[in-house]
Amino acid sequence: MQILKYILKRILQAIPLLIIVSMISFFIIRLSPVDPLAELRLNPSVSQETLAKETQRLGLDKPIIVQYAKWAKSFIKGDLGVTSNGEQVSTKLKERIPNTLLLTIIVIFLTWIVGIPLGIVAALHWKSPLDRFMTVLTSIGMAIPSFFFAVLLLIFAVKTGWFPVGGLTSSDFLEKSLGGQILDITHHLILPVTVLFTLSLAGLQRQMRANLLDVLDSDYIKFARAKGLSEFDVIYKHALRNAINPMITLLGFEFAGLLSGAALTEYVFQYPGLGRLILEAVMRSDINLVMASLMMGAIMLILGNLIADILLIITDPRIRRGNV
Amino acid sequence: MKKAGYVVLIIFILALLCKAYIRIDNPDIVNTAHKQIQQNESQFGEYPAQINVTENGTDFLQSQAPIGNFGGALIESTIGEGPKTFNPFNSKDNTSSIMSDIMYDGLLGTHPVTGQPIPKLAKDFSINGNDYIIHLRKGIKWSDGKPITADDVVFTWQNIIFDGFGNTSTRDSMYIDGELPTVKKIDDYTVKFTTPKPFAPFIRNLGTPIAPKHVFEPAVKKGKEYFDGFFSTNTPPEKFVTSGAFRLKEYVPAQRVVYERNPNYYVINKESKKLPYLDKLVYLIVGDVNNQVLKFEGGELDDISLQGANVSRFKEMEKHSDFTVYNLGPSTGTMFVTMNLNNRKDDKGNFYVNPIKQRWFADKNFRKAIDYSIDRKNIVFNIANGLGSPLFTAESLNSIYLNTDLKPYDRDVNKAEQLLKESGFYKDKKGKLFDKYGNPVEFDLYTNAGNTEREAIGVMVKQDLEDMGMKVNFKPIEFNTLVNKLVNTYDWDMVIMGLTGSPIEPNGGKNVWMSQGTLHMFNQRPAGYTKDDRFEWEKEMDKLYDAGALATDFETRKKYYDKYQEIAYEEKPFIYIYSPLIIEALRNKFKNVYPTMLGGLIHNIEEIYIESKK
Repeated sequence: MQILKYILKRILQAIPLLIIVSMISFFIIRLSPVDPLAELRLNPSVSQETLAKETQRLGLDKPIIVQYAKWAKSFIKGDLGVTSNGEQVSTKLKERIPNTLLLTIIVIFLTWIVGIPLGIVAALHWKSPLDRFMTVLTSIGMAIPSFFFAVLLLIFAVKTGWFPVGGLTSSDFLEKSLGGQILDITHHLILPVTVLFTLSLAGLQRQMRANLLDVLDSDYIKFARAKGLSEFDVIYKHALRNAINPMITLLGFEFAGLLSGAALTEYVFQYPGLGRLILEAVMRSDINLVMASLMMGAIMLILGNLIADILLIITDPRIRRGNV
Repeated sequence: MKKAGYVVLIIFILALLCKAYIRIDNPDIVNTAHKQIQQNESQFGEYPAQINVTENGTDFLQSQAPIGNFGGALIESTIGEGPKTFNPFNSKDNTSSIMSDIMYDGLLGTHPVTGQPIPKLAKDFSINGNDYIIHLRKGIKWSDGKPITADDVVFTWQNIIFDGFGNTSTRDSMYIDGELPTVKKIDDYTVKFTTPKPFAPFIRNLGTPIAPKHVFEPAVKKGKEYFDGFFSTNTPPEKFVTSGAFRLKEYVPAQRVVYERNPNYYVINKESKKLPYLDKLVYLIVGDVNNQVLKFEGGELDDISLQGANVSRFKEMEKHSDFTVYNLGPSTGTMFVTMNLNNRKDDKGNFYVNPIKQRWFADKNFRKAIDYSIDRKNIVFNIANGLGSPLFTAESLNSIYLNTDLKPYDRDVNKAEQLLKESGFYKDKKGKLFDKYGNPVEFDLYTNAGNTEREAIGVMVKQDLEDMGMKVNFKPIEFNTLVNKLVNTYDWDMVIMGLTGSPIEPNGGKNVWMSQGTLHMFNQRPAGYTKDDRFEWEKEMDKLYDAGALATDFETRKKYYDKYQEIAYEEKPFIYIYSPLIIEALRNKFKNVYPTMLGGLIHNIEEIYIESKK
């Protein structure tokens, strides 16, 4: 019961936060000098009447406050509005969300399944050649900018011809059998996944290693060892459980990054995900689309944090007794 | 000792860097590439025009090109977000127009070589004063098997275009003294258009796609708002009923648009088999040029348009690759410098342009001096890698209305100085330029940031003008901000911009050249401005544009448009710099390729086929 109350409280707290976020984003976008109609204005074949019609359709002839109120009203009703091309924002997002989720979930799954064990191994063999070797590898992983790495891999793909140059599916995708389609998508995913995996793996492995080292150095571990517990029990029952707490917070952030974390890589690989859609929307000040994505990002962040906190309550009895 | 080692190392790295750049500036490489590409042009065969034939009561259009094999796909690409709509009447951007025009043919088309109107959906046409009689092909069908008749034509023109559905720019351009042309069905296969006055550009409007009435009528009945979202990118492909060579098969957002052949297309080959030869036409949606080039090199694209340094690189690769690089001549794009001739005041009574600067810009000698100071050849050579043509006329170099009497000239600093002297400008000891009232000549030069080509031109123009003693503050600014300055706030001195025109119909330039035009940027008047403060030559220009639109035969029109180019050449409201060349690469396996300057590389997409492997 208590936990439900806690969740409710957190959700209520999120509402003013969302309002402030939406207002700030809306006004900043509208204050920027981007004119959604600039391209049209410079097109000699577009008439004055068309321009006037467009201005009216996009609501650009009204003051910003009115525009915001109109947007907020429909947002509360669950209507995300239409893009500057007149398509439903929700359809537009629905087209892209699965693609981005596919990419980010694979990456997060891989990094956690590889990164955590590697971190533990490195911490347990502190200062051994194995640990040093991994330190070098992860440092490289952390140091390479993602877009640069992505470009390198693209050039690799062109030179060898082993991988497709960006995209998610081949042009003859529809004619392929189901197995062929799965293979095709996998083939396209290898490079972007490699980029994102390498980068986030490094961070996660370092984090896990540092946490575990921290814990291993603490008094209660020393005590546990002095008590004569087996090394296995010391590490997996006592040390690991304590070391995992910060990782759960991290998982909350990963959740927030599910939809927005891969924008740069998506762009380089021409991956048809949300990142590219939103970047293009920002460029032409497509307000409804940009607002929808920003709000989505904010909600995902709040949700991620909430999930992390709940997980913490479950894993850590100290928090359960104290703060809730 | 150690320090010396570092110094040597740094010098070595710098030397390597310099070496890397030398290649780009090396005239030999660029020139040979340029020459080789120029030679290509003569290799183009002459395009055999299609002719009308009647078989079993159906009026087909017959391809005269060699007979090819059926099957295969051609993969093209489009840069950016991809199409925003597949409705040809709603498209406002270039990509959407291309994507919808593939599916819908108009009554008339444009001859790819001569630029004259040729019949497409129409079998033939005759012009009788203000009347345009169009005979339709009998027996041709939409992709769903329904016949294409006069009802479709009348519906398209009356109920969609004249009634103002979708993008009304086509309609708006046809108003003559507030009146629109009329359209009338004479019988099932004959339609008559009547313009209120003789209006030459109208014949080009007949290239507007024709919509299938049985598909579009329900949408039109639901009103304009519904029509705006009709046949959007979310429409299932099987709903499209088309008259063009292809119909939509699949649209995957941010990835590709796939078309399949229209089984009922009205063009046949010499064996009376229905074209197109290709089964599929694919457009990949790519984010930027770099990705496009990578995709071509990776073999995922069959056709690519090339710019700058890529041209010489591809030319090198061509020898041992499976593609050919084609030079399609100067593009319709024009790059120019223009000065703000605005001498009006804003609402608060302040001048848009500082009166001191106004005096310079209004001075024809000053404009001409700037014109003579700009080294076009150098700009073409350094920025377009030699792949452009210096430009001096308002019509683009491939326009059928180009005034060939207006001769190009080289940079002439002496002449420029002499012109400045005539207007009382003088230089001080340090070489700085002052006007006759002692004001130093200093102004801002804008262009849109992010366009590397224009930014580079800006740097070179600034250099050229500073040689004359002017102080130029070159400021690349955000595109939208720049457009806002040009069309709303008018607070700019000088700007580098580009526009594209039509090579077959100069009347499209009226937005730019007529004094009330929306893009009359060098002397932009607000909408609804009534006071007549036109310069003499602006009045002349207005008259010529009106007369040019009303005259109907080519020769008379050419005279008017020659004259307008002459005025632009003389008065220099725009100082044209150059037109880039269009260079495209296409895989060799495609046959029946007849590139032309007007039509481009694959204007005859229905005739192109893939050579079978032996």
